[in-house]
Amino acid sequence: MENNNTEKNQNFSDNSNKGITAQNKEPRIIAFVCNWCTYNGADLAGTSRMKYADNVRVIKLPCTGRIDPLFVVEAFKKGAKGVLVSGCHPGDCHYTSGNYHSRRKYTAFRDLLSYLGVDISRVEFSWISASEGNKWVSVINDFTNKIKSLPNNSDIFSKK
Amino acid sequence: MEKMNEKIQNIAKELLENKEVNLIIGFTKGSNPLRMRSVFITDPKDVSKLSFNSHCVQDLAVFLKKPEVKKFGKIGIVVKGCDEKAVNTLIQEYQLSRDNIKIIGLECHGVIKQNLADKGENSLNQSTVYDKCLACEVHTPTLYDYLVESDEQAFEINGNSIKPYAKIEELDLMSAEERNVFWQNEFEKCIKCYACRQVCPLCYCTRCIVEKNTPQWIETNIEETGNAQWNMIRAYHLSGRCIGCGECERACPVNIPLMLINEKMARDTFEKFGYKSGIDINAKPVFGTFDINDFNDFIK
Repeated sequence: MENNNTEKNQNFSDNSNKGITAQNKEPRIIAFVCNWCTYNGADLAGTSRMKYADNVRVIKLPCTGRIDPLFVVEAFKKGAKGVLVSGCHPGDCHYTSGNYHSRRKYTAFRDLLSYLGVDISRVEFSWISASEGNKWVSVINDFTNKIKSLPNNSDIFSKK
Repeated sequence: MEKMNEKIQNIAKELLENKEVNLIIGFTKGSNPLRMRSVFITDPKDVSKLSFNSHCVQDLAVFLKKPEVKKFGKIGIVVKGCDEKAVNTLIQEYQLSRDNIKIIGLECHGVIKQNLADKGENSLNQSTVYDKCLACEVHTPTLYDYLVESDEQAFEINGNSIKPYAKIEELDLMSAEERNVFWQNEFEKCIKCYACRQVCPLCYCTRCIVEKNTPQWIETNIEETGNAQWNMIRAYHLSGRCIGCGECERACPVNIPLMLINEKMARDTFEKFGYKSGIDINAKPVFGTFDINDFNDFIK
């Protein structure tokens, strides 16, 4: 039992040492989540011991309104295959209207990304509340499967 | 055109003599007869320098963001319809007070492409003007204190033969990978001179995102990643704001078709939010506000 555990730990650290590169077999997904809803939703999934794809790396921010499109670009530049932006449902924002503003911004941003030749299915947007641990699990699993099924195309933000 | 020049000069003279403005920004003849340049007039005696013709391609509203112009306080500006939209947007975004500006609006039927003018082109027709002029909806400015009417006839556009920004529709039909290749080839040329930013009347941030280096968001070298980032973020910061004067594309030394991105974003903003920039000084900027019933289809 103990041996198994240490082996697992080593595997885990080996993977993370390789860093994020597009060549890695397992695609890396970055999730920018809001502090008040989705992060707690993910936390609930964890404390309820629900299992979901381990390709995702969560970055917590105060609000989806705080998530600059440059964060998404930066994630792509560093080799992420997919980016998820997730926050409170409309009407539930801790700061009243941050998610409405971000929805408007991301509508334009998605159009721009797609126009510049980035596969738009690599960017996902969702509303997940603090009680929706199961929705978090399904969104992450679906998104990971979608990303895995995509051809390994380059984009304008990745280094050749 | 002589009549038009005279009218502009009279208005400018009156404004300066009555101390209604301290500075007039306008067009004057350049050293080459087919090139015009900007002129700054503070003395009523100099108004005879003011002139206008179909070679006045510059968007003079760009000077309104400069501190050395702002210090004059009350300013008069000579603008075409498209440039005037930039003034509107500056007022909308609280960069300029309506009380401090006197707008001398010009009726304009189009301006001749500068690269053609340099080869001696002097006639105004649908193949010599910029695409923005073919798509123009504001031959007469929407907001002005004085209007100078054109004494020339508008040229006719024959039906379907010419489509402004036709490349946008072409790009829309391409696959993501093809678009990627297209833009990669375009952005590869970028030398990061930031002329597109300098010449833009709406890029007024005192410290541009590209100059922020803790953290360094945009790579400053001229490799693909940084180039794509810069061109993407420039277009993004202008989406819903760009008034389509086309100065960025004209200033670009390596001819990146920046207006294809700007125009696409303007069309998308209109389609999704029904907003056109620079039309109404009392409207809220499209990304400064929201609607509960906004476009929601892409969200899970």
